[in-house]
Amino acid sequence: MFSSYLENPQDYRVEGQDPDEKILLLLRAHPITNLSWILLTLLTLSLPFMIPKFLPFLGIQLNSIPYSYWLVFLIMDFLLALAIIFEGFLYWYFNVYIVTTKNIVDVDFHSILFKNIDVAPLRNIEDTSSSMGGILNSIFHYGHVFIQTAGASKNIDLHSVPRPHHVADFILDEAHKFYGS
Amino acid sequence: MEVNFFSSLAILVFLKTATLIILALYAIFAIMIVRQVDLMGKTLISSISPTIKILAILHLLAVLALIVLAWGIL
Repeated sequence: MFSSYLENPQDYRVEGQDPDEKILLLLRAHPITNLSWILLTLLTLSLPFMIPKFLPFLGIQLNSIPYSYWLVFLIMDFLLALAIIFEGFLYWYFNVYIVTTKNIVDVDFHSILFKNIDVAPLRNIEDTSSSMGGILNSIFHYGHVFIQTAGASKNIDLHSVPRPHHVADFILDEAHKFYGS
Repeated sequence: MEVNFFSSLAILVFLKTATLIILALYAIFAIMIVRQVDLMGKTLISSISPTIKILAILHLLAVLALIVLAWGIL
């Protein structure tokens, strides 16, 4: 369910999917790409422990702060951490790349208010390439896949997906089925 | 000489107002998350979409409860 590489997933559907269209591959960014917001969450959660250590440098004693203010600050801090976790998870979980029997769909939620869906028919795919570079990419085996499409269709780039070379090959194989070669 | 900022009523009122404004903005953010989760769940339909939507609503309710709490105790 929370995998970043799913072949033939049964419990997923995408907006606009035809009844005879089947999802062959569902991809997300590699889970390690979530590290940035996980570290930010840990930093936020550690604030109530760090702030009392810095208050004396500002000439403020911890016991001079009314208990009610400290309590509200603690709850706000935990809510902020919850919001970071929630947003981080939502972006990771819902920003997906889907290869169906007909199309490649790139679902992007750029921010809290912007949604972008690119759909490229498999028959328009001309070329795919993949790249992998960097320490984390090499250790965890993830990278980018670039899909070139024919005509005025927008090219589709899959970012930080697991097994990029295999994915590029898989997509090209599916495209070849349309050409019968 | 140590100065106790929190003994001043003006500072306490300022802190209460600032806290409530921040919480109000946060509540707007929580409402947007509920809307966003709804949109996301319609775009990618999966078995855990309803659970995520319930979590988003609980998050919003927690923020609203905190506003009431902060209004009452500060």
